[in-house]
Amino acid sequence: MNHPVWDIPFLGSGWIIGLISIIHVSIAHLVVGAGIWLALMESRAQRAGDTELLAWLRGRAKALLWLSSIFGAGTGVGIWVAIGLVNPTATQHLIRAFVMGWATEWLLFAGEMATLIVLVRAYDRLRPGQRLALVWLYALFAWLSLVVINGIVTFMLSPGKAWSTTHAMWDGFFNATYLPSLLLRTFVALALGGLWALAAGGATTGELKPRILRPSALLTLVGVLLAALSGWYYFQSFPGPARDLVLGNLKGATGLAQGFRWAIWGLGAFLVPALLALWASLAPASFRRPVALFGLLLACWGFGGFEWIREVARKPFVIREVMYSNGIRVDQVAAYQQGGFLPANAWAQTFAAAKGDTDLAKGEAILRSQCLACHTREGYRSLKALTATNSEGDNVAFIQAIRELDPALNPYLDRMPPFAGTEQEAEWVGKYLTTLKAK
Amino acid sequence: MLQLPIPAPDPLPLPLPPGVLKVLLLVTFTLHLMAVNFGVGGSLILAVHAWRGKPADRELVRRLAPLLPAAVTFAITLGVAPLLFVQLTYGPFFYTASVLMAIPWLSLIFLLMAGYVLLYRFVGATAATSLQAGSGILAALLLLAVGLMLVNVTTLSLRPDLWAAHAAASPHGLRLNTADPTLWPRYLHMAAGITAVAGLFLAAWGAWRDHSYARRSGLRWFMGATASQAVWGTWLLVTQPAPVLNLLLDANTAPSLTLWLSSACGFLALFMAIPASQEGAPPKAVWPPVGLAMASVLGMILLRDQARDASLAAFGFQPGALPYRTDWVSLGVFSLTLLGLAILLFVILRWARQPTPPSPGTGEVVP
Repeated sequence: MNHPVWDIPFLGSGWIIGLISIIHVSIAHLVVGAGIWLALMESRAQRAGDTELLAWLRGRAKALLWLSSIFGAGTGVGIWVAIGLVNPTATQHLIRAFVMGWATEWLLFAGEMATLIVLVRAYDRLRPGQRLALVWLYALFAWLSLVVINGIVTFMLSPGKAWSTTHAMWDGFFNATYLPSLLLRTFVALALGGLWALAAGGATTGELKPRILRPSALLTLVGVLLAALSGWYYFQSFPGPARDLVLGNLKGATGLAQGFRWAIWGLGAFLVPALLALWASLAPASFRRPVALFGLLLACWGFGGFEWIREVARKPFVIREVMYSNGIRVDQVAAYQQGGFLPANAWAQTFAAAKGDTDLAKGEAILRSQCLACHTREGYRSLKALTATNSEGDNVAFIQAIRELDPALNPYLDRMPPFAGTEQEAEWVGKYLTTLKAK
Repeated sequence: MLQLPIPAPDPLPLPLPPGVLKVLLLVTFTLHLMAVNFGVGGSLILAVHAWRGKPADRELVRRLAPLLPAAVTFAITLGVAPLLFVQLTYGPFFYTASVLMAIPWLSLIFLLMAGYVLLYRFVGATAATSLQAGSGILAALLLLAVGLMLVNVTTLSLRPDLWAAHAAASPHGLRLNTADPTLWPRYLHMAAGITAVAGLFLAAWGAWRDHSYARRSGLRWFMGATASQAVWGTWLLVTQPAPVLNLLLDANTAPSLTLWLSSACGFLALFMAIPASQEGAPPKAVWPPVGLAMASVLGMILLRDQARDASLAAFGFQPGALPYRTDWVSLGVFSLTLLGLAILLFVILRWARQPTPPSPGTGEVVP
């Protein structure tokens, strides 16, 4: 990593992104689905002249504004902040490649906020046709911002050969997993938006309740079932090695296997809201808000599980075949193995110099730059635990072994970047690893 | 001796000429700052008026506070774009500074969300109580603390010579950029500027609506905050690193011209605000100070950019020399989206200002 390293004990830097992302991704998709739900319901209520329902929908638009402007936008900025802190090199590469995509998405988000604010604040001044146009425009803007971001997220998993030669934004944008991912995210959005609507509608009473719950349940059901189908389609479109990584680790006893099992349980849990939607549709009077909130929680778990699988399936890369998860580009490895990592990385040098430039200081500096993107010394994916039974010689031999770039000779290459340094640097890292035992 | 640890720039070329990106950065930053003036400065001013609690103060709060959450929404949304363009051009400096103070920098989002929730409480409160005023003041302080984090990263990003010592003193990214003498004057200069412009917005609203109390209160906020710039502004000037200070004190340079012209505009605005704030002054007397102060703000935004480039030039960084390859297709998509959005905003803002339609059965039109 070309930049300084944010060293987070116990938790590790990946979880900082993970925790913020789980919240943001759930809210962002929920808001997209809820926007489509609001537009459908407004159309339905206007057609039927249902003034009671229209008045209730006005309150939901307000709630949506509150949710998206505070927590959607706040955690969205949070992801920006977090990815820049945890992997600044990769963030900078993505921004260079996609800045105009992000700038366009920013305009769409501004449109989303502007239409929703006008809808809420000028509600009484709007004619019914204008209100309908505005609510559909809001839904469209929200979905289009997903359309754009989807290109960047899927690029990281499947950048494609065309981009690696042209570096043209659109070659990376419309990549092999773009369409399946867009379908999945759209249907997940419908499911989450529908469940949010069921939670809101679950608190109503009387004649109004079934008029809210039945269409919302249908949307949820459609979202859950089509998300399950498109999730399968998405998984089939994964690059071969990514699919193999997921399937291989499901059976194995690696450190990733437990995570995969949690994610798979989540995928099962994602289907439960379909049953809850049937309940809301068939027996609306007995359906209550906490049931929908429980369904929403399960759906977020399932979707979070899928996102986790997608993230892990990128291993050992942050941008597949372009940049490893520690921010070292694939095309830099040979030069670092030949001429050394330290001479080419000012921040690793600075860290080592601050600790007296001893062998151990150099080893720690390189370990910080190359290993802490995924491991911690003593907590999550603990290096201390992983090397607990190793001698210094074992550690040195291990780091030197993972310099190997041939997958037949380096069995870790499918999930861990090769060591990008000289044999001497590998020895320093091995020595430093051994000192963790005493800490 | 070690060279300064400035990371190598990313190998991908910029998608537009650096000059165009600079214009986009400055335009979006200006829009962001205007929304911040309105949302954050406005929150502070209205919270203080709510605290005072006289009938005229309460009326101001009742009429204007509902605009604040939307202003903060736009402050956040409009802030994302300059953050993007800064990372694009000044990435090696920006990322390094943010990682070195990672925890305060990350706390920004929690301060922002907490401030925003409290602002909604302030605006949505049904009764004018000290609890309402307290939540408003706390909201404003939290939003101002977000600005403190931004100023910390910005100042640290300009001082690669401080980075190694900062990293050694704070390996987990806990420390603020307190070793930099420009930190506090820059922050106070910015906070006073935000309050001053928000005061002007209030005065302009008062002139527009012929509301004498709003006009005079707004001008008083403007005058107090701007007068304090004599302290913060001078302090900021004298703490600038030598290359920037030399440039600003040399009358033949563009940054020097920008500094003195915008300071003169600010001073003149202050001078003209004094009679405009008197009892019985005509409402239109507000407009010359508003115009001059806006010119001063625009000048200061330009100066801020010139000082940034001068600071980084001392470390061998020339943003204008970065390689680029114009991506016409993406530029076209962006421009068309911008055009579509502008037309749409024009239409929906007209809808938002139209009279309320008659309620069924009454035939009345409510203005």
